[in-house]
Parts: sequence; structure tokens; C-alpha cells
Amino acid sequence: MKNKKSLKKNIIREIINTKSRFISIMAIIGISVGFYTGLRSASPSMVETARQYLNDQHLADISIISTVGFDDDDIEEIKNVDCVEQVMPSYSADLIITQENVDSVVRVYGLPQTTDTNTDVINEPVLIEGHLPVKDNECVIESYYLRMANLKIGDTIRFNESVEGKETADFIKHLEYKIVGVVDTPMYLTYSRGNTTVGNGSVLFYMMIKPDEFCIERYTNVYVRTRASSAGVSDYSDEYADMVEQDVKDIEAVSGSCVERFNVTTLADAKKELADAQKEYADKKQEAEEQIADGEKQLADGEKEFADKITEAEQKLADGQKELDNAKQQLSDGQSEASEKLEEAKQKLTDAQTQYSNAQNQYNNAKLEYDTKISEAQSKLDAAQKEYNNQYTIFYSSTKPNAETKLTLMKAAIDGCNDLINKTKTEIEKLKSAELLTDDIRAKIEEQNAKLDEYQNKLDEYQKQYDEGSRQLAEGEAALADAKQQLDAAQTEFEEQKAFGAAQLNDAQNQLNDAQSQLENGKLEYESAMTTGMIEMQSGQSKITEAEKELENGRKELEEQKKIGLETLKLAREKLESGRYEAKTGLEEAEEKLNDAQDAISSLENAKWYVYDRDENPGYSGLTEDADRVDNIAVVFPAFFLIVAALVCLTTMTRMVEERRTEIGTLKALGYSNFDICKKYFIYGSAAAVVGSIIGGFIGVFTLPDVIVSTYGMMYILPDTALVISWDSFVMSALIGIVCTCTVAVAACFRELKINPATLMRPKAPKPGKRILLEYIKPVWAHMNFTSKVTARNLFRYKARFLMTVIGVAGCTALIVAGFGLKDSLTVIADRQYGELTKYDQIYALSETETAEKKSYLISQFRKDERLKNVLLGYQGWTDVYGKEKADKMNLHIIIGQDIEEFENMFVLRDRKTHEKVPLDNDGAVINERMSEVLNIKVGDTIHLTIDSDPYTCQVSGIIENYAGNYLYMTPEYYRTVTGKVCKYNVVFTGTDPQYKDVEREIANDWMKNDDIVTVALISEQVESIKDTLNSLDFIVFVMIFCAGLLAVVVLYNLTNINIAERMREIATIKVLGFYNLETANYVYRENIILTGVGGVAGLFLGSMLLGFIIQSIQMDMVMFPKEIAPLSYVYGFLLTFAFSMLVNFIMYFKMNKISMVESLKSIE
Amino acid sequence: MMKNFVEFDNVYKRYQMGEVVITAADGVTFSINEGEFAVVVGLSGAGKTTVLNILGGIDSCDEGRITVGGKDISHLNKRDLASYRRYDIGFVFQFYNLIPNLTAKENVELATQICRESLDADTVLDSVGLSERKNNFPSQLSGGEQQRVSIARALAKKPKLLLCDEPTGALDYNTGKTILKLLQTKCREDGMTVVLITHNSAITPMANRVINMRSGKVISNVVNPNPLPIDEIEW
Repeated sequence: MKNKKSLKKNIIREIINTKSRFISIMAIIGISVGFYTGLRSASPSMVETARQYLNDQHLADISIISTVGFDDDDIEEIKNVDCVEQVMPSYSADLIITQENVDSVVRVYGLPQTTDTNTDVINEPVLIEGHLPVKDNECVIESYYLRMANLKIGDTIRFNESVEGKETADFIKHLEYKIVGVVDTPMYLTYSRGNTTVGNGSVLFYMMIKPDEFCIERYTNVYVRTRASSAGVSDYSDEYADMVEQDVKDIEAVSGSCVERFNVTTLADAKKELADAQKEYADKKQEAEEQIADGEKQLADGEKEFADKITEAEQKLADGQKELDNAKQQLSDGQSEASEKLEEAKQKLTDAQTQYSNAQNQYNNAKLEYDTKISEAQSKLDAAQKEYNNQYTIFYSSTKPNAETKLTLMKAAIDGCNDLINKTKTEIEKLKSAELLTDDIRAKIEEQNAKLDEYQNKLDEYQKQYDEGSRQLAEGEAALADAKQQLDAAQTEFEEQKAFGAAQLNDAQNQLNDAQSQLENGKLEYESAMTTGMIEMQSGQSKITEAEKELENGRKELEEQKKIGLETLKLAREKLESGRYEAKTGLEEAEEKLNDAQDAISSLENAKWYVYDRDENPGYSGLTEDADRVDNIAVVFPAFFLIVAALVCLTTMTRMVEERRTEIGTLKALGYSNFDICKKYFIYGSAAAVVGSIIGGFIGVFTLPDVIVSTYGMMYILPDTALVISWDSFVMSALIGIVCTCTVAVAACFRELKINPATLMRPKAPKPGKRILLEYIKPVWAHMNFTSKVTARNLFRYKARFLMTVIGVAGCTALIVAGFGLKDSLTVIADRQYGELTKYDQIYALSETETAEKKSYLISQFRKDERLKNVLLGYQGWTDVYGKEKADKMNLHIIIGQDIEEFENMFVLRDRKTHEKVPLDNDGAVINERMSEVLNIKVGDTIHLTIDSDPYTCQVSGIIENYAGNYLYMTPEYYRTVTGKVCKYNVVFTGTDPQYKDVEREIANDWMKNDDIVTVALISEQVESIKDTLNSLDFIVFVMIFCAGLLAVVVLYNLTNINIAERMREIATIKVLGFYNLETANYVYRENIILTGVGGVAGLFLGSMLLGFIIQSIQMDMVMFPKEIAPLSYVYGFLLTFAFSMLVNFIMYFKMNKISMVESLKSIE
Repeated sequence: MMKNFVEFDNVYKRYQMGEVVITAADGVTFSINEGEFAVVVGLSGAGKTTVLNILGGIDSCDEGRITVGGKDISHLNKRDLASYRRYDIGFVFQFYNLIPNLTAKENVELATQICRESLDADTVLDSVGLSERKNNFPSQLSGGEQQRVSIARALAKKPKLLLCDEPTGALDYNTGKTILKLLQTKCREDGMTVVLITHNSAITPMANRVINMRSGKVISNVVNPNPLPIDEIEW
């Protein structure tokens, strides 16, 4: 075999020359392997630490307690069980100490002792300081409390004299014990000290005293080591669990006979005593009852007599009243009659008066009319007389003389005429006579004739006028006479009429006068009648007043008598009551004593042994759960890490082979075999991977488990970490690293070797530029500036690197987001559970013997406490629920609220996603989401449950949001439907008024003084302890973020490094062109920044998915982990990634500045 | 026309190679006038490239003084050197050193975008006869074309001094000739000062000035009053 010495040298030189690459491959594989192995080792280390501790301190495999304690015979029986190796009987008691006015419960244990069969001390405490008790009044206390309470060795613990009505002296011999040492016990792995039935319900700390300090008759605890621990099987193994399970059954089998023995001896005696006492009590009770009955009878008789007498007196009074009423009635009747009559008379009188007035009026009117008429007639008459007188005077003074004158004249005229006529005639005759009748004479005769005619006519006329005048005169005279006559007649008549009217008026006047006198008489009569009536009435009234007075006196007397009677009766009754009360209290006391005795016996009755394995110890089982949780995270995170690391190695190695292509070509040309050529890269890769794995694994294993176990150690009391290396994890992760690196190296190498040596020896042409898709989208491309275009092209030029960077950065962001998200999710549990869902603040457990009345009384008392907001009487119990397959079983709380309204105030039943209210009705029970998931139960399904060991089935009507614990809620009515029993309420849920939140503990302590309340649990204290647990997760989150940062830095460094190396010439060229350093950096980093951005965004989604996966894998039966990422966590994830990216860029900046233009641009040899 | 536009005064440059010290420039002294086409000729390892790199501001000297256009560049800091390269120098390399991811035009633009006064990329590419190939990537161009892009990139910056390091070294005879012709034309027509290094002394007749180097020393600095056009030179 030829020694290919130069080839070996080549490999070593290669490593030395490219040490930064070699180291970076080493680092990334180292980190991944270390992280993975370290985290995977944490869980087994944690378990192993606990296991060794428990083994060293000989923690009992089984602990037994009994409702009645144990005696030596019981211990013997237990010893005789096959599997039992060692038995240690012991004592414990929960006693009370008062510090700064607060009562606290201390659990006092008997110091574990060696037993006759074995020198190992079961539950051996670890002495941390001082010494174990030697003297009687010495004690050791736990280290945690010593620190917390600032106590020191030499201080004294002083107990109260009584514990819940019992004497402390009944339990232990002294009241004061001096602290002489500080211990830890394997019985408590966590800081939770458990619950108790005394005091405020929770144990503050434990202490140990010498066992013979206890003055309890029977042992309270028995600790057993079985074949399981001596068989050498690991404490936490399934094998151990199976073995102990069998052992528990074996011991339980013995318990039957022991309990039976107890029942026939101790219990039977006690029962007999009780029976005697009960009989005596019954006798006394009867006697007292008889006496009371007598007294009651007497009192009743007295009451009856009193009542009779009163009735009689009242009857008499009633009669008198009746008479009086009658008299009153009569009087009032008479009164009304008289007044009626008077009224009538008055009416008549008034009528008469009216009539009289009317008549008077009429008379007056008539008289007035008469007077008027008379005066009218008189004046008419007077006027007529005056007229007549005037006419008469005129006629006789003027008319008649005038007329007579005229007439005379006329006569004269007539006579003249007659003369004329006669003369004429004479003439005529003369003429005629003249017989010489000449014409003249004829004419003259004629003329005389005509004159004659005229005279004649005149005469006639005159005659006529005369006649007329004469006649008229006569007529006037006649008329005057006539008038005179008429006037006289009228005068007569007037006189007559006047006389007649006066007579009539006179009559009327007489009548009126008569009526007036009658009216006066009537008035007088009426007035006298009225006066008489008045006098009569007054006398009646005074009689009635007298009678009333009499009656009132009678009544008063009766009242007085009654009062006296009642007083007497009252005194009698009081006497009876006090007698009865005395008897009652006496009896009650006696009864109470009897009840106590009865209780004591019933507590002894149904004696039962409880045989517990280590799972009952919360620290023991919690530790494995916590370890599992760590392991679940330990798998997910580093695995993810490993994938990214593998990808980075892949790129780096590919690049390396490409860089060495000339060399590969040369070697090939020289005639080296492919194997020889590949060997270099294989060795290079595997050397880096192996060395990295070993260094990383070493660091990981020696730091992480210790860090994590001690973080959890804050919650557990454990000694120093016992390291268990998870070799399979180491080998697996190292193999992945090595295989990835080497395979890639060899594969890349072979790819190059396919090309002929001549081509290989020529430098590989730089990847040609290509148009990218974006350039064809003209509007976009045209608007991009020059450097953006260059960057865009470069991004797509190296697609593999693009992908690699994005994946690496995304991985980093995802880890950070998931880390923060994990914290968010866990914080949400406490916040949601106790901020939004659980609205009550305290749970008070009631003593089981309470009656329904007493409970409702208690509730009313609670309601009166103004510091409390809501009060709900309820039932809380444990139940086993089975899924569809019987194997799926879950132990959970069943909660029933008496009052649905109050219930809804304290328990928010809602859907997790929609927040819609889930109604609780009488048709089914409501369960929480986690339980439905674990048991695969849906709404409408039927579930099987066990309450008080009886099986029932019920319908599921709703599924609600809940995070901590598993609960089944139903209404009291549905409980009755399901079980056929009435719900026995045993707890009170209360809410604290917000302003009293600070003093919750005091409120609880106040209530604990009430004898009916057994324990109290404060939600706020539970929240605190949960928050403490969650806070310890902060560290894990920090580790994750740190590692993510490491990952980001390594990935980005590698990729940027490759990027720069590949583009060395390009960078040198632009430097020659006169680009300043920053401009050059910008030219290269622009891509990095964009890639980081893209990777970061992708990482946000990836992180959400990763968290979902983690949450899924750390889910526990008891707790529902929601997947929650706060927006800020995304921001942190993104920003941190960028910060890491910037850090890398900053480092690379210097490297870039160092690029020598001369060297890079040298003609390629 | 400035005399002694470029002046090297007793310049030394030494490289430490392991335990051996190589003196690449050993008291180099010469000067070049403005607008001259100077050829530095010598065998491989004579120190030509070192001198050119120092003159171009991509390398520094250990001793001596260099002035370009009256400005002392031998004691500039890194940033000032970058500015000097940016504004005063155009470089043409044997292997072109184009950015493979950029087209011909973009390669030119890469230079112009950082200069205060630059020529239009299209114009310059037209002037070097590449109007048709502006949008091609370097890998799509022949060697001569790539070198023309490289020259265009240098010219586009309007440098005071054009430095060419064996520009025809990777080209065939005819292509080399056209490149030299292009350079000569640019020098004559634009009055550009050109310094070209070559190991091929056959092309010295085309220069205004011929500087002969050997073992890091200038052994002659001859002015050629009648340079020949490149077409008349054969080798």
C-alpha cells in the first residue's frame, strides 16, 4: 500500500486554511447535537436524580392510613404479607400554632426509626443542619420553612392548647419543642404540604419529634417497603408500578380481617357504653317532658278562665252600648219629626206672607189705576166744559149777533129789492101804460124787465141766504144746547163711576187689613211651637250624654281587669318557658355529648384502610409529568434545529467542493481514483461533524440537564443533579449531522467528477446572468431603480441559497415565535382560568353531618358578610368518568350548584372559540374541553361515571372552555335524575368583594372559626402557585430564544460567507469602480435583508405551526394548553431575527472591507 | 496639455511572501504627460501590474511619491482612494471583470451611477460599436465584445486616466487589434491619457511614450514623436 502522504497533507492543510468554514460546520453540528442531547438528557436526569434520592432515603413504597388507626396486631398482620419487606408504624398529627394572630396548621411526624428487621430507615430524613432530636422536647423542622420563617436552630415551636375542640395534649406530650435540626424528607418532593381537616385547611410546614412523644393510643400511619424496592427495579419504571400495584392489593386484602377484629373488640365496647348512655338520656328526657306538659296544662286552664271572664264583661258592655244606641236613635228620630213639622209651618207662614204681599201689591196697583183714571176723566170733563163754555161765549157773543146783523142786512136788502121790483113794475106799467109803445119805451120796458128779473134773482138769492143764515143760527143754537146736554150727561156718569171705584177700593182695603191680622197670628203661633220643641230636645240630649259616660267607665274597668289578667298569665308562661328551656338545654347538652359519642363511634364504624402507593405523593407523580413535558419540548425544538443545521452543512459542503473543482480536476488528471479524491471531502466533513458532535454533545450534556433540573429544582426539593446521558439521542443527532455533511460532500464531489478533467481545471464560469420573470412585467421593472434591479436578479441567480437562507431564517424566527408563544399560551391558562372562567374566590368545605336547615342558615350568614360578593351552596366531589372504551378513565371533579343564577355568576360556561354561553339545564351535564378530547366525548354522548362507588350514566349536553383541571357540571335536578338521590351539598363557593381582595386570608380565617366549616381553599393562593410553576418555564423560553439566535447567527454567517466568497471578484470589481465601503455593503446586504424579511415572515407562520405541534405534545390530562401567540410575540420574533441578521451583517462588513482588490482580480492562474 | 501629468518618484512596493520579501516596485521613477498614450512594457514579473495597481489606487506603495494631475495620491486614506478611483480612474482588465448578472448596458450604468459627470451609457456603447448588444449579458458576448463593454464602462466615467492591464491578453490577434485601435482613437480624439501595460513589445510603436520595465525598475522611458496607427503595425 502506497502511502499517499501528500493527499493527507492536503487534507490537513485544507482544514487549517479554511478553518473558519471548518469551525462553522463544527459549530452548527455541535450546537444542534449539544442542544438535542442536552435537552433529551434533562428528563432522564431529572427522574434519576429523584430516583436516587428516594432510594437513598428509602422512601416507603406503600403508606397506609386507616380511619381508626392501627394496633400492634395490625402491624403484625401487615408484616406477614408476603411482599412486605419492612414495616414502620408511626404517628402524625395536625396541630395548630399561632403566629402574629394567624393560626396555622403544622403536621407533626414521629421521627422515622429503624425497625427490627432492617437497618434502613424508611423515609429517612436528610439532616441538613444540627442534629436529630435526642431529648423529649426537641424537634427538627423542614429546611424550606426554616428559611421562609427566618427561624434558626435553638428557636422554639409552641402549639396552641387545643385543636378543633380537642386538646393538643391528647396528641403529644409537650406544648413547646426546641428546634435542634433542619431536615428534608423524601415524603415531600414539592413545596406543597397538602391539605388537612383542621385549621385553615392547608398545612404550613412539617416537623418531626421523637415517636414516644405521641400519646395517641393507636398508630396513625404505617409505612411499608416491599419487594419492589429490594428487587432492584427502577422506581419510576413500569415494572415497579406494576409490582407495587399488586402489593397494594395484597395489603388491602389483609385490611378486611384487621377491620373485622377492630369491630368486634374496640368498637363493640364503645357501642355498648353508648347504648347505656342513650337509655339514661331517654329516661331523663321523658321526665322533663312530662313536667313541661303539666305546666303547660295549668297555664292553659288559667288562660281559658281569663278568656271567659273577659268575654262576659265585654258582653255587658255591649248591651249597654246597644241601649244607648237605641236612645240616641229615638232622640234623633223625634228631633227630625219636630223639625219637619216646624219646617212645614214655616213654609205655610211664608206662603201666607207671600200671598198677603201679592194682595197688597194688587190693591196698590188698582188704587193707582183708579186714581189715574179718575184724574184723566176729570181732566177730560173739564176740557169738555171749557170747550162748551168757549163755544157758547163765541156763539152768543159774536156768531149770533153777526149772523143777526147779517140777517138784518139781508132783510134790508130784500126789502130794497122788493122796492126796486115794485118801482120797476110801476115803471113798466107806466111805460106800458104810455101806450104809445115806442121801441124806446119797449126797449126801456125790456130793460126794465131784465132789471126786474135781476132784482128778482137777487131777491131770491138774498132770500135764500137769509134763510140759510137763519137756519144756521138755529142749528148753532141747537148744537150748543146739545153739547150742553151731553156735557151734563158726562158729568153725571163721571160722578157715578168715581163713587163706584172708591167703594170697591174701600172693600179691598178692608180685606187686606183682615189678612194682615191673620198673618200676624200665624207667626206668633209658629214661634211658640218652636220654643217648646227646643226645650224638649235639650233634655233628651243630656240624658244620652249621661248614659255614654257610664258606658265609658265600664269599658275602662274592663281594660284594667284584662291587663291584670294578662300580666298574670304572662308571668305564668314565662315561668313555663324558662323551665322548658332549662330542660331543653340540659337535654341538648346531654344529646350533644351523646352525638359526639355517636360520631366517635360512627367514625370508628365502617373502619377502612387506605393503602397508597407513591403516586399519591403529588411530588412523586408530578415529577415524572414535568420530566415528560421537558422531554416533549426537548424532542421538538432541537429536532427542528437539527434539520436547519443539516441544510446549512449541505450548502457549505457543496460550496466547498465547487471551490475546489480545479484541484479535483488536477487530481483526476494526475490519475487519482475517485475514491481518493472524495476521501478528502468525506474526511473533512466527517471530521468537522464528529468533532462538533463530541464537543457540542459534551457541553450540552454537562450544562443543559443541570440547568433545567435546577430550574425545576425550584419547584422540587431534590439533591444535586444526577446526570443521565441520553446516548441514543446523542448518537442519533450526531449521526444525522455526520451523514448529512459527508453524504453531501461525497455527492457534490461525484457530481464534479463526472465532468472531464480538462473542463474541471478551467475555472468554473460564474453563473451567467439571466433575465428574471420580473423583467417581463414591464411596469414594475421600469419603476425599479438600478440597484433594486441588480438585487432582484441576484436573488434569483442563486436559488438554492435563496431557499437555504429563507429556511434558516424562517427556522430562527419560528423558534423565537414558538418560544414566546409557549410562554403566552401558558400564561393564558392562569389568566383565562382565574380571570375569566373561575369567578369564585374561596371554597369552604362543610362538615358532612350538617342538616339542610343548618346549611341554609349558614348560607344566610355568608350572605350577611359584606366582604363577600356571591355565595353559592354547592356540591363538589370526585368522580371517575369512563369514555367509550372502559379503559379510558378520568378522575375529575363533579360540581353542582344549588342556585343556577349564583352558579352562573361564579362559573362561566362558554365555548372556547365563539365565547358563546353554554347553557346548563336539566337534560344533561356539561364537561370541559380537555376531558372531551381525552375521552373522545362529543355533545349528545352518554358517559359512565362512578359517584361514591356507584355507577351511573349521564348525557353530555355541552362542552366548555376550561384550562386547569377537569370538571363535570350538572344541575341538582339532573343529579337527581341520574342518581335518584338528592344532592348533598358539601361546599360553599364565595366571591370576594373587590375592595376586600387584600384581606382574603383573614376572611377565610374568620370563617374557619365556624365549627361547621372544615376547610377553605383560596383561589388566589392556587393562582400564585400556578404562576410560580409557569414562571420557571421562562428559563426554557430563554434557552429557546438563545439557541434560536445562535442558529440564526450561524446560518446567516455561513450563507453570507458563501455569498461573499462566490462573488469576491464581483465585489472587488465594484470596489475598483470606486464604490465606497458602505455602498459595497449595501450592494451585497440588500439581498440579505430581503431574504431575512422573507424568511422572517415565513417564520411567523412556521412558528405558529411549531407551537401548535409543541402544545400538542405537551398536553396533559389535567391541563388544557391553549395555543395562543400574542401579537407582540410575533413582533419580537421578527425583530430579534432581524437583530441577529444585522449582527451577522455587521461582522461580515469587516470581512468585506478586507477583500483585496489586487488579489481578487489577479488573473486566474 | 499638462506636462508630467502622471509622476512616479522613487516608488517602492514590497510583498512579504512567507519568509521571502519580493520587491515588486524597486525605486520606480517616471512621468507621463497629459493626453499621451503610454505603454508600459516588460516581461512577466517585471512589476508592470504593481505600478498600474498603485497608479489606479487599488494598491498602495511603501515608499515614494505619486502625483496624478498635481494631486499626491500616495498618501490617501481608503475612502479618498475610493473617491480617486471613482472620479479620476478608468480601469480595463485582461479578463474584463464584468458583473455577470448585469447586461452590457447595466454594467456601464453601474459605473455611471456613482459619478458626478458621466457619459450616457447608450452613447458610450454606441461609440465602442456595441449598439446592437446593449441588452446582452456578458456570457452572451464574445471576448472582444466583453472587453469593449469593459472599456465603455471605464470611459463612461469620464476618467482623467485610463489604465489598461493587458487588455488584449485574452483576445485573438484581430480582436486585440480592434481593441487597441479603439483605445488609440479614444486617446487621440478625446485627448484622454491612457496607460497600457503589455508584455508584447511589438505594439510599442503605437504609443507616444514607451516605458520599459525589468525586475521592478524602469530601464527606459522613451518618447515616440511619431506613433504609428495600429493598422500599420503587425506582430
